[in-house]
Amino acid sequence: MTSLIRTTRCRHPPSRKQATSTLTYDTLRFADTPDFPETAEPVWVLGRKYSALTEKEQLLNDITSRLWFTYRRNFPAIGGTGPTSDTGWGCMLRCGQMIFAQALLCRHIGRDWRWDKQKSQGEYLNILTAFLDKKDSYYSIHQIAQMGVGEGKCIGQWYGPNTVAQVLRKLAVFDQWSSIAVHIAMDNTVVMDEIRRLCRAGTNESSEAGALCNGYTGVSDPSCSLWKPLVLLIPLRLGLSDINEAYIETLKHCFMVPQSLGVIGGRPNSAHYFIGYVGDELIYLDPHTTQLAVEPSDCCFVEDESFHCQHPPCRMHVSEIDPSIAVGFFCRSQEDFEDWCQQIKKLSLSGGALPMFEVVDQLPLHLSNPDVLNLTPDSSDADRLDRFFDSEDEEFEILSL
Amino acid sequence: MQSNQKNSQPFKQRKSLASRKEEVIGIKAKFPTKIPVIVERYRREKYLPLLDKTKFLVPKDLSMMQFINIIRNRMNLSATQAFYLLVNNKSLASMSLTMAELYRDHKDEDGFLYMTYASQEMFG
Repeated sequence: MTSLIRTTRCRHPPSRKQATSTLTYDTLRFADTPDFPETAEPVWVLGRKYSALTEKEQLLNDITSRLWFTYRRNFPAIGGTGPTSDTGWGCMLRCGQMIFAQALLCRHIGRDWRWDKQKSQGEYLNILTAFLDKKDSYYSIHQIAQMGVGEGKCIGQWYGPNTVAQVLRKLAVFDQWSSIAVHIAMDNTVVMDEIRRLCRAGTNESSEAGALCNGYTGVSDPSCSLWKPLVLLIPLRLGLSDINEAYIETLKHCFMVPQSLGVIGGRPNSAHYFIGYVGDELIYLDPHTTQLAVEPSDCCFVEDESFHCQHPPCRMHVSEIDPSIAVGFFCRSQEDFEDWCQQIKKLSLSGGALPMFEVVDQLPLHLSNPDVLNLTPDSSDADRLDRFFDSEDEEFEILSL
Repeated sequence: MQSNQKNSQPFKQRKSLASRKEEVIGIKAKFPTKIPVIVERYRREKYLPLLDKTKFLVPKDLSMMQFINIIRNRMNLSATQAFYLLVNNKSLASMSLTMAELYRDHKDEDGFLYMTYASQEMFG
């Protein structure tokens, strides 16, 4: 299976052993994916802590169990006449699929579920099917690319983390099977009241919501008829051309909270799905490999090996990350959400570290007053400017409350 | 009088430190309750429009969230479009801070508070 896969973007220094061995096809295949480093530093993957020394197998098994979406070719044309491959443009769409698939795994079968090559069935298969490259899958590249038109993106255009987050939020409305609330926190601010309102919305028709939950939950969750499971995505910009170093420790912290869905972002131009870190290296899944599209051969079988990254995961130095990202969290219940808020609020900032976003109870009252958004230059103030500046000077715009 | 930002040079490079200092002293004498803020577009920004003004006199009690919403409104951005104002080209400010607090912590040696706006980068 792996012989079909060309990894094109993993840039690791080749290990000594690989550098001296003969370059056969097989060594080429694995040359850029060295084994995981033997280090005493803890490895964090989506809220779980591992020792690379004593738990390497569990660590790699956890990573392999994540759904890995890459460029694909030979899928049905998008919109009937559009592209049949997303090579060269789909990497952020694929990263969006990966972070959302992780949310659905948590939603339907839990964070502890592990992939078993021999037994791909049940809810896992339903999740995978929701992302297959055809027009009627909930979160297919077809759906994402076409929904992006409403966000001002033509089919085939590059997305940012916020673009794909907004599109996924719209698509999730149609996914009654998952019945999740998707909130995208803008302006680096998470407003708890907005989320509480969103997660309770629609749950008044609790008979229907309850029936859906009872019908589908693999993990029992008595509160789900009162509170929809939450996918929280926070698009950010942590610098202009480079990440401000003051954010690095807080970024790492995102992978340590139990509700972590990781981070979508990348290096300049190339999107990655970051799932954890070790030391100063981020661990990520890379969509920049073109594989053949997979079709379900019948209703209950999908050739799924190519949807799991079976080589050791890619790593890069955290300072190489592009500052445009979106951070994701999944909160199964209200208690889980309140716990997340506590986790974020108690984060102690030491050594000049800065918070990446803020959690507030509610928006300040003045923002509900629309007048404040339309402040115009105050003419009485403007008169006082009189001829203070000579004609070459640039005018101030005066804002008044 | 408009579109000063079409001048490709950043404000700081258009004027000497001495003249910027002088300008701040003058404007503060006239408007003691306002804070002088420079808002410029990130030079590699491809999606957000230019503002027709670079220099703002902002009430001390205005919160960062109010200020961001004023600028979002000026650009006709929807609530779901990515828009970030980075203070001193580096950091996102807490939305609950007032302009006076930001000014206290981040003002430049010339007496202005500098902010740069940008959306998000795209990836392929």
